[in-house]
Amino acid sequence: MIELEDVWKVFGADERAILREARRDAPDEAVLKRLRAVVGVAGASLSVGKGELVCLMGLSGSGKSTLVRLVNRLLEPSAGRVRIDGGDILSLGPKALRELRSRRIGMVFQSHALVAHLSVRDNVALPLEIRGVARTKREDRADELLARVGLDGLGDRRVGALSGGMQQRVGLARALAADPDILLMDEPFSALDPLIRHDLQTQFMALSRELGKTTVFVTHDVDEAFRIADRVVLMRAGRIVQTGTAEALASRPADDYVRRFVRNARLPACDAQPSARVRAFA
Amino acid sequence: MSDHSAWDEAVSRFAGINGSYYRRAFRRIGERRGYVPSFNVAAALFGPVWFGGRRLWSAFWPVLVADLLAAVLIAFALSGGASGEQGARADRLATLAATRLAEARTANDADPGSAMAKSLTRSAAALEQAAKDARQAAEDARSGASLIVAIGGGLLLLARLAAGGLADHIAERRFREWRLEGDAGKAGFSLLHAAGAAGLLAVFVPIVFLHFADRTLFDAVPSDPAWNSAAAARLNAGVAAVSGAASPVAGRLTAAIDAMLGLMEGILTGTPWPVVMAVILALAWQLAGFRVFLLTFVAVSYLAILGYWEKSMQTVALLGTAALISVAIGIPLGVLCGYNRRVAAVMRPLLDFMQTMPAFVYLIPVIALFGIGKPSGIIATVIFGIPPVVRLTALGIASVPAAVREAAVAFGASRTFILFRIDLPTAAPSIMAGVSQTILMCLSMVVIAALIGAKGLGEDVLHALQYAAQGQGLLAGLAILLCAIVLDRIVQGRQSP
Repeated sequence: MIELEDVWKVFGADERAILREARRDAPDEAVLKRLRAVVGVAGASLSVGKGELVCLMGLSGSGKSTLVRLVNRLLEPSAGRVRIDGGDILSLGPKALRELRSRRIGMVFQSHALVAHLSVRDNVALPLEIRGVARTKREDRADELLARVGLDGLGDRRVGALSGGMQQRVGLARALAADPDILLMDEPFSALDPLIRHDLQTQFMALSRELGKTTVFVTHDVDEAFRIADRVVLMRAGRIVQTGTAEALASRPADDYVRRFVRNARLPACDAQPSARVRAFA
Repeated sequence: MSDHSAWDEAVSRFAGINGSYYRRAFRRIGERRGYVPSFNVAAALFGPVWFGGRRLWSAFWPVLVADLLAAVLIAFALSGGASGEQGARADRLATLAATRLAEARTANDADPGSAMAKSLTRSAAALEQAAKDARQAAEDARSGASLIVAIGGGLLLLARLAAGGLADHIAERRFREWRLEGDAGKAGFSLLHAAGAAGLLAVFVPIVFLHFADRTLFDAVPSDPAWNSAAAARLNAGVAAVSGAASPVAGRLTAAIDAMLGLMEGILTGTPWPVVMAVILALAWQLAGFRVFLLTFVAVSYLAILGYWEKSMQTVALLGTAALISVAIGIPLGVLCGYNRRVAAVMRPLLDFMQTMPAFVYLIPVIALFGIGKPSGIIATVIFGIPPVVRLTALGIASVPAAVREAAVAFGASRTFILFRIDLPTAAPSIMAGVSQTILMCLSMVVIAALIGAKGLGEDVLHALQYAAQGQGLLAGLAILLCAIVLDRIVQGRQSP
C-alpha cells in the first residue's frame, strides 16, 4: 500500500524559498518567476490500496509524471511524506533505498528506456542482475517473463530490432522481472499507435488482474484511464483535482476542467455494449 | 486582411523611417522565389553608415572592410604607389655608389691597380646599375598608379552596388528574425549607431591616407621589448620554481615511466623475433580478422626486410606506453567530464591548449622537469595524445540517454553498476574512436620525441632530415605509419568499419 501525504515537488535554484512562496494561500507569481520556479507537484495526498490500479491523469505538465517519481524517490520530494506499507521511504539511506527499488518496485517508461547494447533477455534480466542474481537463474526468469508478454523466443534479439510495441512489452517484462509488488507505469503506451495500444492495454489488464500488483499508472488518455483503472486521479497544475472511479468522474465532475476532460470519454462498458446510461454522458 | 495590416504595421515599426518603402520592398521580395531585384539607394550611397544605423552588423563589417580596402588602394596609388619607395631606394643606391666610387678613387690613388681598388670600383658599378634599375621601376610604378586608382574605385563601386542590391534582402531577413523574437528586439534606424559607423570611417580613412602620405607615421606597431622580456623572465622563474618544487615527484614519475617502457621494450626486443612476429600476427587474426591479418603481414614483412624491425619495436614500445598512459588517464577524465558539466567547462580550454600548443613549446618545460630522454618523450607524447580520448569519452558518456540511466536507478542500480554496465558499454564505440585517435596522435609525436633522445624510427627520420636523405626519410616515415595503423587496427578489433 502506497501513501502520499501532502507531498510537494518544486524545481529551481532555491527549493526552500520556492516552497515557502508556493505554499502560501495566494502565491506571488512575480516572486516565483524571479526564483525561476517550476512547481511540479503541489500538496498532493493519495493512497493506493494493495492490489489497486490507480491512474494518474492530466494534461502535459500537470505533474503526473513527477508525482509517480516521488513514490520511488527518482525525484526527491521537497516536502511531505511517502510511505510504503507504513514504512517511511524518505528516511531510507542510499543502500536501503536501492534495496527497496530492486525488490519491491518495478517501473515502465514511455520511452522504453531499454539498454541498446544488451539483448532482449539481458534487458529483462537487468533488475535481477542489479540484485546480484546468478546468470542462469535470471535468464530462466527472463525467458519465463518474455513468454508471458508474448515475446517467446525473442530473447536473443537486439533490442533495436524490435518494433515499438514489442519494445514496450520488453519494458513490461523487465518491470515484472524482480516480482515486485508495486508497479509504476509512466505513460507506457502513449507513444504507440492506437491498435497496438489497445492490444497492450488488454494484455496488461489480464496480467494485472492475474498478478494483483499495486499499480500507479500515468496517462493523459481518458479512454485508457477509464478502461483500466480501479480509480482515476485527475491532476491539474500539480494539484489533485478529483479522485474517484470512472463512473464517479463522468457523472459528478468536480469542476469544468474535469468536465471538459471526461466529456468525450468512452466508459469501459461502451467497448462491449453501449448502453443508454453511458451514452447520456457522452 | 487584418493579418495584412498587422504585417504592415510591423514593417513600419521595424523600419522606423521610410516605412512605406520597406513595406513595398519586403512585399516584392516575398512575392517571388529566388533573387528579386531591389535596389536600396540609401544603402548604396552611405554604405557602412546605413548598415550600422540599421544594426545589420553581419553586413556592416564586410561593407566597411571593402571601403577601407578601396581607400588603401587609392591612397597607395595617389601617393605615387610603389614609385616613392623605389625612388627613395634609387636615391639611396646612387649615394652609396657615389661614396663607393670615391673610396675606390682614394684606394687607387694610394695603391694604383690594387685588388682593393678594383673590387670597390666593381661594387660601385653594380650599385650604379641597381640604382638605375630602381629608378626604372619607380617610373613603371608611376605609370601603374592610375591603374591601381581605377581598381580601387572599381572595388568601391562594386561593393556599394552589391550593398544596395542586397540591403533590402538583408533587412527583410532581419525583419523575420525580429518578428520571431516577438517584436521585442531593437528596430528602426538608430542615429547613434549610424554616427558610430560614420565615426569609424572618419577615423580609419584619414589614417589610411596619412600613412601613405608619410610612411613614418604608422610605420612600426608600438611595442615594448622590455615587457616581452620581463614576461619571459617571470615565466622562466616560474618554470624553474615549479621544476624545483616538483623534482622529487618528477623523479619518481620518470622512474615509473622508464620501468614501464623498459618492460615493454624488453618484451618486444628481448624475445626472439620469430616469436614476437608470430604473436603479433596471431593477435591480428584473432582480434581483428583476416583483412587486418593480411595488412599486418605486409607491414611486418616491410619492417623486417628493410631492417627496421629492432627500431620499430622500440617505437611500438614508446608509442604503446604513451598510448596506454593516455588511455589510462584519459578515459576516467573523460567519464568525469561526461558526468560533470563544470569539470567539462574547465577541461575544454585545457584540452584545446594541449592540442594546439606547438609541441616544441612545451618540450622545453618538460625537459626542465623530467630531463632529456625517453620518459620526457613519452610525457610530451601523452600531453599531445590525450585530448581525443578525453573528448570522445566525455561525448559518449554524455550521449547515453537519460531515460536509460533513470530506468537503471529505478531498478535499484548503484552508481558503479550504472557506470560499468550501462554508461561505458553504451559509450564504447565513441571511446574506441577516441583511443584510435589518440594512437594516431601519439604516432605523430614519434619524430619529435626522438629529438629529445627517444630511440626508434623517429631517429631515422631525424637523421634523414639532417642529411636531406629523402629516400631514407620516406622509408622510415612509412615504417612509422605502418606501426601505427597496425596497432590501431588491432586495438579497434572486429567492429572497426
